[in-house]
Amino acid sequence: MQKEINSKNKEFLIRLFKEYYFKNIGNLSPPVQMHNREFGFMTFDGKVIRHLAFPKIGNLKAFIIQNVPSDIFCSNAYYQFPTFPINEKCWKGADLIFDIDLNDILLPCQKEHTFFICSNCSFVSNDFLTLCHECHSTRILKNTIPCFKCINSLKKETKNLLEFLKKDFGIQEQNLEVSFSGNTGFHVVVLQSNYLLLDSKSRSDIVGYLMGKNLSPDSLGVRNDKRGDRIKVPLSGFSYGWRKRIVEKMKMPEVSNDHLNKFIKKIGGYQSFKNELDKIAYELGLKLDPQVTTDIHRIFRMIGSLNGKSGLSKIVCYDIDKFDPMNDSCFFENDRNVDISINTPLKFNIKGKKYTLDKSISTVPVSVAVFLISKRLANLANYSS
Amino acid sequence: MSIILGKDDLAKYPFLEEAGTYIRESHFDLDDFNRPEFLHIIQRATKRVEFALIEGKVFIDLEKYDIELFTFLVSLIMMKYIDEDSAIKKFSLMEARRVERFLISDLLKEKDLRKKNLLIFKIFRELFQLDVELDPKKNNLFKMNISDYLQRATQFNEVEWKLINRAVDNGYVYLDGDETVRLIRSEIYKLLYNKIKNMNITQVPEQIKFHATLIKKKLTPPIKYLRHKTDFPPCIKKALELLNKSENLPHSARFMLATYMLSSGKSVDEVVLLFQNAPDFNEKITRYQVEHLAGKKGSQTRYSVPACSKLVNENLCYATIDCKGITNPIQFGRKM
Repeated sequence: MQKEINSKNKEFLIRLFKEYYFKNIGNLSPPVQMHNREFGFMTFDGKVIRHLAFPKIGNLKAFIIQNVPSDIFCSNAYYQFPTFPINEKCWKGADLIFDIDLNDILLPCQKEHTFFICSNCSFVSNDFLTLCHECHSTRILKNTIPCFKCINSLKKETKNLLEFLKKDFGIQEQNLEVSFSGNTGFHVVVLQSNYLLLDSKSRSDIVGYLMGKNLSPDSLGVRNDKRGDRIKVPLSGFSYGWRKRIVEKMKMPEVSNDHLNKFIKKIGGYQSFKNELDKIAYELGLKLDPQVTTDIHRIFRMIGSLNGKSGLSKIVCYDIDKFDPMNDSCFFENDRNVDISINTPLKFNIKGKKYTLDKSISTVPVSVAVFLISKRLANLANYSS
Repeated sequence: MSIILGKDDLAKYPFLEEAGTYIRESHFDLDDFNRPEFLHIIQRATKRVEFALIEGKVFIDLEKYDIELFTFLVSLIMMKYIDEDSAIKKFSLMEARRVERFLISDLLKEKDLRKKNLLIFKIFRELFQLDVELDPKKNNLFKMNISDYLQRATQFNEVEWKLINRAVDNGYVYLDGDETVRLIRSEIYKLLYNKIKNMNITQVPEQIKFHATLIKKKLTPPIKYLRHKTDFPPCIKKALELLNKSENLPHSARFMLATYMLSSGKSVDEVVLLFQNAPDFNEKITRYQVEHLAGKKGSQTRYSVPACSKLVNENLCYATIDCKGITNPIQFGRKM
């Protein structure tokens, strides 16, 4: 939940979030080894509470119904003592997690549906802001309503990640869990025990691999030293991993040193090859948030919980092609209407219906109100329970 | 396994269980080392230890297996008797490099696949619980699973060890013999170090005592860094502590320490001296590297102290409350 929300909006969201958890508490499934996990919450006042533990899912559910947090998190790590300070928890391993978010995929359409919102006076602009034009506050939030193109790009990137993990890392389909974050991204969790004990540095190497960072011409048998360019096809060949991707993309000959030598000369020698390699590695590399993967003490949004930044639920995607985040993860009904005031003209789809709202008071279903108020793009105008 | 390792293999890998069995079955008694016919063994062990501790070199001479097994045993007893941690570390490192040399050569030259597989099993699986296999479908390269590879390869900073520069397929990393052995260097070192540390000998034979005492007299005492420790940020303090104990600092820690000292106004000579306790210290190499960092060699670029964020990623950060507000170790202790 983003900081400082007005009391009327807050009361509305708390009521609706409570209703969601009352009806859908079963959506919260216990994580593996729940008693070894740290739990954290964010309140509607923007406070973060960490270092909690719940031995059983029943205890967690009771806490949530009673306290109605805006966000619920669970550690990717397993600890001997999850409630102790971070250095005393006794780390026992952590799930390997990847985060694909719109922030890391730069799409031209994003400007059209990204908003910079003043958290002081609710002024909204489509242009990048560091200072509010109305009240000169520097507390500016950035929010995006993903369009179809954005969602398709996220899905494509997620599918590329799954392909890498299956082909290169040998992870079987049943050991990969894909979920929609409830806002602008997808999370992929590797449920395979041999990755649990990896430290931050090893995870950083994995994420570097997936993003195509530090790919060296040497690994493709192209070296350069005092004697000039030296070409030797590697003993391990070109038929898998990054080498295969590069060879296919550059249409490199892989038969012999002679062929490879001619190819390198043709494209202008070592440096030209390296430049081309860097370009292709960036193009084929995945756009991930490396911090998420390398942090082995992170608390992570829990599946089945609502995302305080959108009011949508974090949900497992069993069929990513068919998955529609703006429908499948919205659990609020369209059976009640409320009045909201919009701060900027908006176009979006939710629960299968297209909305075009102008800058005025609109009557919308509860699902739309929760979504826009959570995004800080609307304020409640008139509502009674 | 239906075949056994040959005696020549035991000569090269005298820490294997089979070597211990051979010595036990020969009904040999430690007191036998006081007999004149064992003097050449003791002299050979003395040479081996001096090579490591005084000359900083790897002893590559290889004799018949029985001579090798006893020489190895005497060398270990000598090190136990010398009982200086920095010396034990230095000896273990040089012995690890000796093993590395033999192992690379054996994995490259051995044509009998069964024998080669047995060697891999004995060294990698039995000693280090690391599953390494030869893959006949891929030019008989060595394969290990990605997580086993990462746990070892991330200690190296060179870009060639990054996973992206490796042949990776279906959960495995494919390596040649040199690379596979290089990955376990520090494990061989620890195995030898622990072997000496955990030795329990009630009565060291007089002949061994005599030669070990002579070696001990020739050793330069390790330098103690007397400067008041609180002057340094905790990351630097930790690196100095480890150097004091003659630990083998990773490249990234050496880089941090040298750039920090140079930036704090220390001369190249003073920084070179700092590394004198490193188990693999070689003044010529160290001087070249420190001069390079100081911008006096190569590209003439003076290297900066790595930022705290980089040190966190390299597991070199030991931040305390006094580090609050700094982004580089060089800022430590200055008014913020």
